[in-house]
Amino acid sequence: MIFESKIHGDIQYEEKDIITFNKGLLGFDNLKKFFLVDLVEMEPFKLLHSLENHDIGMIVISPYDFFKDYEIKLNDSTVKNLDIKSENEVKVINTVTLNSDPKKITTNLQGPIIINNSNSLGQQIIVDNLKYQIRQPLVKE
Amino acid sequence: MLIITRKKGESFMIGDDIEITVSKIEDGSVKIGIIAPKDISILRKELYKDVEEENKHAMDNIDLNLLKNIKKTK
Repeated sequence: MIFESKIHGDIQYEEKDIITFNKGLLGFDNLKKFFLVDLVEMEPFKLLHSLENHDIGMIVISPYDFFKDYEIKLNDSTVKNLDIKSENEVKVINTVTLNSDPKKITTNLQGPIIINNSNSLGQQIIVDNLKYQIRQPLVKE
Repeated sequence: MLIITRKKGESFMIGDDIEITVSKIEDGSVKIGIIAPKDISILRKELYKDVEEENKHAMDNIDLNLLKNIKKTK
């Protein structure tokens, strides 16, 4: 199937690529379907695009590509909501906020997005850990 | 919204298993004790607001060319 994105042109996707966020993203309860797009030649960045809105998407990263020690604990309700049976099913991604100054490009380590690869359910959680920042610069000075 | 008045040391219940106690009142701040089941997440509201705001920022002005800059600096 082809999705016409205002951000990235026509994107090929398949049914299995669709991630369902039953609660939406925080502040965007109405956006429940997204898909993850590989950005060729911009690895390791990916685009998490809304399937319900042609203008809405977010750049995301795997935190482990930038912050090797990143660690979060999933609470019981997340495990239940996403029907997680094993940690091998879990994918973690973090949103990136762009800026024309590379030093001001940040990622949100306090609001990671958790995806269960087995059933394609996703949920954004909040990590209440002072070690992690909502606006963590990606590039070290 | 339900508004109730409680004195220091007094509690109230939300449902059968969430208990909120006013433990200290001082200088315009209230210290609150919460007993709740493990699967209930309890977070300061500012944190929700901050993450909501940051989601909005992350959706604004997505210019993929900006990612090329970050590669160059690496």
